[in-house]
Amino acid sequence: MNGLFGDISRRDFMKYCATTAAVLGLSEMELVSKVSEALAASSSKAPVVWLEGQDCAGCTISLAGALNPPVSSIILDKLSIRYHETIMASAGYLAEAVYEDTVKAGGHVLCVEGSIPTADDRFCMIGGRPFREMVKESAEKAAVIIAVGACAAYGGIPAAGPTKSVGIGKIVKDKPIINLPTCPVHCDHLVGSILYFLATKSAPPLDKIGRPKLYFDELVHDNCRRRSYFDDGLFLTDWNDPKQKNWCLYEKGCKGPDTYADCPVRRWNDGQNFCIDCGAGCMGCAEPDFYDGMSPLYTAESERSRNIMARKEAGLIPPKEKA
Amino acid sequence: MGKKITIDPVTRIEGHLAITVELENGKVKDAWSSGTMARGFEALLQGRDPRDAPFVTSRFCGVCYSVHQMASIRALDEAFGANVPWGGMLLRNLAMGAEYVYDHILHFYHLSALDYIDIMAVAAYKGRDKSLNALKEKVVGLVKSKDVFPLTPRYKPDEFSVTDPDMVTSAVKHYIDALAIQAKARNMGAIFGGRQPHYQSLVVGGCTQYPDINMVAKYRTMLDEMAQFVNEVYIPDVLAFGTGPLFPLAKMGLGGGHYNYMSYGALELDKDGKDQVFPAGVIKNLDPGNIKVEGFKPDKITESVKHGWYKENKPVHPYNGEQVFDLDKEGAYSFIKAPRYDGEPMEVGPLARMLIAGNPDLLGLIEKGAKPGVVARHAARAIETKLIIDACYKWCDELLSEMTKPGFKIHDTAHYEPPKEGEGVGFYEAPRGSLGHWVKIKDRKIENYQCVVPSTWNASPRCENKYRGQYEESLIGAPVPDPDNPINVVRIIRSFDPCLACAIHLIDPQTNELKDFIVE
Repeated sequence: MNGLFGDISRRDFMKYCATTAAVLGLSEMELVSKVSEALAASSSKAPVVWLEGQDCAGCTISLAGALNPPVSSIILDKLSIRYHETIMASAGYLAEAVYEDTVKAGGHVLCVEGSIPTADDRFCMIGGRPFREMVKESAEKAAVIIAVGACAAYGGIPAAGPTKSVGIGKIVKDKPIINLPTCPVHCDHLVGSILYFLATKSAPPLDKIGRPKLYFDELVHDNCRRRSYFDDGLFLTDWNDPKQKNWCLYEKGCKGPDTYADCPVRRWNDGQNFCIDCGAGCMGCAEPDFYDGMSPLYTAESERSRNIMARKEAGLIPPKEKA
Repeated sequence: MGKKITIDPVTRIEGHLAITVELENGKVKDAWSSGTMARGFEALLQGRDPRDAPFVTSRFCGVCYSVHQMASIRALDEAFGANVPWGGMLLRNLAMGAEYVYDHILHFYHLSALDYIDIMAVAAYKGRDKSLNALKEKVVGLVKSKDVFPLTPRYKPDEFSVTDPDMVTSAVKHYIDALAIQAKARNMGAIFGGRQPHYQSLVVGGCTQYPDINMVAKYRTMLDEMAQFVNEVYIPDVLAFGTGPLFPLAKMGLGGGHYNYMSYGALELDKDGKDQVFPAGVIKNLDPGNIKVEGFKPDKITESVKHGWYKENKPVHPYNGEQVFDLDKEGAYSFIKAPRYDGEPMEVGPLARMLIAGNPDLLGLIEKGAKPGVVARHAARAIETKLIIDACYKWCDELLSEMTKPGFKIHDTAHYEPPKEGEGVGFYEAPRGSLGHWVKIKDRKIENYQCVVPSTWNASPRCENKYRGQYEESLIGAPVPDPDNPINVVRIIRSFDPCLACAIHLIDPQTNELKDFIVE
């Protein structure tokens, strides 16, 4: 079989043959002449390489929650998902081959989910290679780079652990990166950033730490519906007490006064609910020092929380004007 | 020695997994399963406020996040001495029910189905259904534009692949419909969980979401849509495939394994937990005609490190587990440890649960000639999705009646502060199997944290007595006529719904010592 195809490798053949022969009703011989054509042709859809490093796939699952537009239209109509370990049909060498081709050709949207270990490459190996190398090589010719979720943006929870993990900004230093922290990524933030890129061929305006201003320009605290209770010093202490159910969650560890994100106005899961509305407080997952800088999470016993209260008492977090 | 092939990465799973198989005469002769990523979460928890543990361990896995929260919270409940009020348990169960529904549907349609259908058969659809014709046009359009990612490239369909255009086209349509359904199932969970992935409202002692009647009504309405999809689409699809074109795979018992099964039991249907959706139990060396279920005894769990990259040690109970790294150890090939029950490897997950529960629908399938393996695993998953939905209706009713009682409680406020010392275990059933978290608390902080997760049970390497892990054993004898197209291997592995990120324990290449990782 190899001899028939000259310089076209077996895997290239399989890649195109599988998709075209059955549908176009071509014989294998006819197909051979079409293969090189196919290799040269590129689709009008933006090619996407989505890498998963030290991740939990939560950001992928979050993206799969997109309903408007639905994720099916995003992955089939708007984008050409070339490599994404959790959703692609292929595995093993077939998967690796598409990855190599796409990265070599360049011009792709690079999404990275998960952090990168710096203590030792062996903490994250894919296809027998260090994940760190994959990030570097796939970033080289990428049209745009998106750090999907807190881990890829700033290291997230693994940054607090023994693998000494970092976000991609510490590995890829010569290119702008769209950081979309929160743990997991909010599907609107991701879909919106991709749509913005497709429309303008550029990244949306970013803040000093690479987050789109569109989503990360305001403090959670300033849009919180519990804000007046914070200003009045009424803090929830008992989740069973219906009287307290709308009170401020400071005592339960809320880090909203230190966190820039649009969760209170955008909410999560198609507007269903979000952390502060369910009575649990904001854990600061949109900030670069999450998780270590926010821990402990479910109590005000952290240095962070004490600092918030000290600022309130010093008048540095003035009451929001009441209507 | 036969030809060895390695599939790395194994895709459409959560986490990073490599599978190596040795082939002889077109069949798998031997197999090795290897986990290839570690983050060290258990070590980073040491010295932390115990109440962080459910939040952090949720990030073990973004697919089955909530089950880690639940196992963690149950371990904390025990260590803190918390008595979770029935109201709090109901809220937890409603959040968990949504997790199961989404997870099972996602696994079948989006992570597994592509292994069984020849998606290009859509182009041959000749029926008159408008939506199916629209789908055909779409797929043909993708092919003509030479861009069928991510649906191709793929392993070539084999003689077991479903090629009937009507069946395939409707399956692909359901793949797309199911994308919306699984998203909606998670939105349903967010009503009581706060948001997802990674619920925020589950805490030691109960739940933080004070419910009102509108939330319950909304949940029920969304549940109706789930029930309709499961009853009218998911279960019929699994039956149509499993008893139709895939029945040869079922009859040959592809992916069988050791025929040992275990369930810790989970999802209380009453206050005392006497009645559970999933009963606990153990089956050794299954005889389908005469199923004997013995009681589950936690003390019988041990973990072997014989073939893991850890310093040689005899198998110990997870409470006493230590992890001293040895990357150069001869015979080691995985970051995953090898848990055993009574010294034997166990399969955990839907098939185990439905066998242990003696579910009549599953037993009916076995009576018809299906052997426990890939097809039975998919069937068991669909069957239990319906059981969960039925339970969710019950929990809604219970919650409504509980909410209207005076003194309704969702949380044990008296036991929210960490104890000076304590220990606890949290057993739970995750969608993909039995999950346990063990916590030791000292000076109000976490002293030690250990997990034995479903994919550790299923994906484990060999142990002292040479028993292969369940993945490995289930691969033995699988037909792989073309080494470049090991489609049966990925069918088998994916039928377990692997979730590898959480199955990896911690190592340290510098010092070889786990205890050096205590966060200062």
